[in-house]
Amino acid sequence: MSTVEDVSVADGVDTPWALLALAAFWGWLAVRWGNDFLLPESVAFPSDQPFVPVAPVAGAADSLGSVAGSLGPVGAPIDVLAGLFGFVAGSLPHLPALARGAWLTIVLTVAGIALGFVLAVPLSVARVYGGRGLRWLSLSYTELIRGTPLLAQLFVLYFGLPLTQVIREVPGVGVGFVPAQAFWVAVIAFTLNSAAYQAEYIRSALSSVDAGQLTAARAVGLSRIEGIRYVVLPQGLRYAIPGWSNELVYLIKYSSLAAFITVRELFFRADAIANDTFRYTELFLLAALFYLALVISASVFMNWVEERTAIPGIGGRQRA
Amino acid sequence: MSLLTVDDVYQSYGDEQVLKGVSFGMDRGDVDVLMGPSGSGKSTMLRCINRLTEVDSGDIRLNDTLVTAPDTDVNDLRQQVGMVFQDFNLFAHLTALGNITLGLKRVRGLDRDRAREQAIDHLEQVGLADQADAYPAELSGGQQQRVGIARALAMEPKLLLFDEPTSALDPELVGEVVTVMEELAAGGMTMLVVSHEMGFARSAADDIHFLDEGRVVESGPPEQLFEQPEQDRTASFLSGLQSNGDR
Repeated sequence: MSTVEDVSVADGVDTPWALLALAAFWGWLAVRWGNDFLLPESVAFPSDQPFVPVAPVAGAADSLGSVAGSLGPVGAPIDVLAGLFGFVAGSLPHLPALARGAWLTIVLTVAGIALGFVLAVPLSVARVYGGRGLRWLSLSYTELIRGTPLLAQLFVLYFGLPLTQVIREVPGVGVGFVPAQAFWVAVIAFTLNSAAYQAEYIRSALSSVDAGQLTAARAVGLSRIEGIRYVVLPQGLRYAIPGWSNELVYLIKYSSLAAFITVRELFFRADAIANDTFRYTELFLLAALFYLALVISASVFMNWVEERTAIPGIGGRQRA
Repeated sequence: MSLLTVDDVYQSYGDEQVLKGVSFGMDRGDVDVLMGPSGSGKSTMLRCINRLTEVDSGDIRLNDTLVTAPDTDVNDLRQQVGMVFQDFNLFAHLTALGNITLGLKRVRGLDRDRAREQAIDHLEQVGLADQADAYPAELSGGQQQRVGIARALAMEPKLLLFDEPTSALDPELVGEVVTVMEELAAGGMTMLVVSHEMGFARSAADDIHFLDEGRVVESGPPEQLFEQPEQDRTASFLSGLQSNGDR
């Protein structure tokens, strides 16, 4: 009985071959990050070099192209193949930079959703169970955040408030692979933003928990807060998982807005390289593939979470 | 000394007066049944006793505690007054065992193993030890209600309130719940039961209180109320019940 429309992008995507492709993607990312961030430079593979050499792929593209040309109209399929090799050869040199961008995109998304969740739970509980004052406070916050553009929120935090100066003073920020202050401003912005959206999902999920549950908890002798903590939330949060999947997918893509406050995440990297090389179509297509892989991974992961936390009668896909 | 004293209790929801001066008392070990047409205030009366609903005026005493006093610790009170619900209200995310151990751990402060032991004992008492790991959705209505009774029992209450415990059950499942309730009554548990279960009332009740429009119309032992009611209102209601079968 989900209150949110079904967002199972992963339905039909979690086929063996798709999971294999995702595993390859994550395996490559992990090796790339391990090599670029952790290994000392003396032993590491050069961090600006792709693992697969470009020349053979480019050569294959060229020879396929000439074969296609010699065959005339019949060679069209081979020409397509040549184009694909060309795209791969053109992409390879940029993969290391995009892998680094993907790292920030992922950390930004995960931090935003996790910290946002910590805020969203009290916000939603205040909405459903709070007194008039708390309800009003929570509602105002949620509506303010949901009613204004995320980009505007990022700009207010980054340009409008003296936040960057404060964060810059924190020891370690911007040293080594710890990102510089803009990243932390983005984390704060995504946390505050995501909290409002998650609070809405959780609020509607809490409302769908039968009122008799809290009554029974109170009748056993639990206080109101304990009843919410031990009886209502464990059920409500399960109902909120589909909405939560939705939010995760949105946040992955919205994290690209951090590029506008100079966070060097995936979109920022693709945009910068495109501006240097003028290969806009290729770079943005490549970035889109990265985002697609991340979004599908998130869906597969959230479906797994939903299955794992399912209880007979609550959550999971067996529900009516 | 009486265990429970209800003295001139008034209660209203908004403009609607639900209880209009209800009084009765119960001694330790008594089993009393509240009967009456729907809207007569039976369930509200029960909910006032464990403060799920607040009275407008009047006193309710449990032993020497004035339940209705504003400074009464309601969480403490509710440990002493267990409640069984019409719709069972089992915690849907917990197993039968978990439903019982939650209160034992969080309210009575037992550690995990002690809570588990005691919970198993109470499940045995209602004949469901083999269903300890089943979730509510996997149990029949009758089984769920028996877990509900075990959950209330586990807090070792002085008084158990039953709010129409069998009226949400299919007829063939009523028997198993009534049997458990009769065993409890025979074991000396003090029980206040809102129910139209005539069989249970006959076999287990000490007194029946007939409520109508927020007042106790008539009280007395089952044989007296069923055979020779003094009030016409009681007679007509009970004859209606009897002609409708056992409900």
